[in-house]
Amino acid sequence: MTAPGVIIDTDPGVDDAVAILVALASPEIDLLGVSAVAGNVPLKAAIANAAGIVGLSGRSDVPVRAGAAAPLARDQVFGKYAAIGSFGEDIVGRQTVSPDPENAVHFLVRQALAAAEEGGSLTVCAIGPMTNIALALIQEPAVQRGIGRIVAMGGAFSVPGHRTPWAEFNFFADPHAAEAVFRSGIPVTLMPLDVTCQALFTVEHIDRFRAVGGRPGAAIADLMTRFDRSDVARYGRPGGPIHDAMTIAWLVDPSMFSGRAAAVGVEVAGLTKGQAHADFLGRGDRAASVTLIDRVDEARFLDFIVGRMARYGDGDLRLPAGA
Amino acid sequence: MAPTPIIIDCDPGIDDAIALLAAFVSPELEILGITPVCGNQPIERTVANALKICELGGRSDIPVYRGCFRPIFREPIHGQFHGRDGLGGAALADPVKRVEQRSAVDFLVDTLGDAAATGRRVTLCCLAPLTNIAVALRMQPGIAAGVERIVMMGGAYREAGNRSLTSEFNMLADPHAASIVFSSGIEIVALGLDATHRVILKPEQVVEFGRVSGRISRALVELMAFWDRNDVRRYGSRGGPLHDPLVIAYLLAPQLFGSSRAHVFVECESELCMGQTVADWYGKSGLEPNVEIVTSVDTAGVVDLLLKRLSRYGEQVPA
Repeated sequence: MTAPGVIIDTDPGVDDAVAILVALASPEIDLLGVSAVAGNVPLKAAIANAAGIVGLSGRSDVPVRAGAAAPLARDQVFGKYAAIGSFGEDIVGRQTVSPDPENAVHFLVRQALAAAEEGGSLTVCAIGPMTNIALALIQEPAVQRGIGRIVAMGGAFSVPGHRTPWAEFNFFADPHAAEAVFRSGIPVTLMPLDVTCQALFTVEHIDRFRAVGGRPGAAIADLMTRFDRSDVARYGRPGGPIHDAMTIAWLVDPSMFSGRAAAVGVEVAGLTKGQAHADFLGRGDRAASVTLIDRVDEARFLDFIVGRMARYGDGDLRLPAGA
Repeated sequence: MAPTPIIIDCDPGIDDAIALLAAFVSPELEILGITPVCGNQPIERTVANALKICELGGRSDIPVYRGCFRPIFREPIHGQFHGRDGLGGAALADPVKRVEQRSAVDFLVDTLGDAAATGRRVTLCCLAPLTNIAVALRMQPGIAAGVERIVMMGGAYREAGNRSLTSEFNMLADPHAASIVFSSGIEIVALGLDATHRVILKPEQVVEFGRVSGRISRALVELMAFWDRNDVRRYGSRGGPLHDPLVIAYLLAPQLFGSSRAHVFVECESELCMGQTVADWYGKSGLEPNVEIVTSVDTAGVVDLLLKRLSRYGEQVPA
């Protein structure tokens, strides 16, 4: 059995950058492409950053494409660190990867239809607002059949949100898209803030990235230093999360995680828009299509991320067959 | 004068069918493609009906592209006055013509992208929920520069709604799409219920259309007869409102219509008022007008125009 192809849909973003680099250093993942969407940063910066990160990894065989520049329905919001804009040349070096001209939504539709035709399935790793995915799902019923699983970072259930008291950023930035995805019934593995904040990277980890991770490791160390995510008041100890990288870790080794089945929905209007809710008891009409991850083995996860980043330093970047 | 390049985005639908038949015999219009969408009927049926109408009108040369199968966010709703097959049971043969491989959204993105590059901009005739247009705009916002303007059937401005208390069907079926289109910066002419309820197709006029329309006469009379709402209390007479054909009439003879400019907002949150088009007639919002709202119609002039157009099927040699 060949591993299903993976598309990373992303709005880089510092933790997106780590997720992309770890995926590119993981031969278990057959990465079909990196799709950019407006989110943490405007689309222009997101596509430049995605291309910069892929170029930095040396995997210029992986195409990068631009998708939606604005959310489905709500007014546009950017991330707390939107001031990052495009990663500078001092961090990612000179741009060597040019985006593929195909629209990312078109690419997703095309890949999903092909997968549905062949009876296969596509995995979408959704680490930004889900606008591109929602736009693809509207176009043909078979798109949904071709997407076997979405592994997403988003939502906050038993912990407060980080963008508003109720909402995590990806769901807040396009609540309609997230709700449309959950309503579709596509199996989703969801990494909410509840779990992403259980694993904190400290200055020691950042030093390790710089020491062992080659140029990509140094870039991540620079970004994490410049945009410090530690928050002792919130986490009760030093260090900061790298939310999005958990989706890639789950794809490679789900045994680090545990979770439970739930029906998930997202509020789309009013003061609490972007708030996610989970039904574990089957009280509503919606099927429990989501595996809501609630625990991570922190030590194994941190080791995994550092270990994968170290492949850039030791020249052990084993590419997937055919790459 | 060179013909106006148009794309007809529609959900046939009886009044869509009449609009298409009128457009087919109008050399002022160059129909680049027809993009049926989920609306009055589910997508399979609006596509099949668009193909059937092309064949009825002898215009199998016009490509038909399959559009989105559901609205952007809301669950699909369908029209109530088009019969089970969407064409009032009119006896039309199953189509031989096939739908294109390329999707409607891809066709819109490609065609309008080219139009933006060449400067030969395209007019969009929107007779349906605006899902196709909105998805294309969200994928490639730059295509707005390839649109000359949108002439749409949609909204209820001073008039009450027809599908809900406040909302016209096309807006209610996909309010999020409407909101995307209204905020796109594209020049819009809106023929809402304020305009279309001025043109009620009466039974005696149906007889007249049947008399002049030659080889499509039987089908046209079946379509038009089914359209009679038989609701004198509401419409002031027998007959049904000629919603979608007014878009074609406006393109051919804008002098038959009067309009006012206003900024239009679309309600997307309230369940009670979902899809309501709210016009800022008196500049309360401080926003620039974005829509030319048709407020008056020369009813006799429009009926006469459509009658003359459809009589061309009586003059034509069968295709």
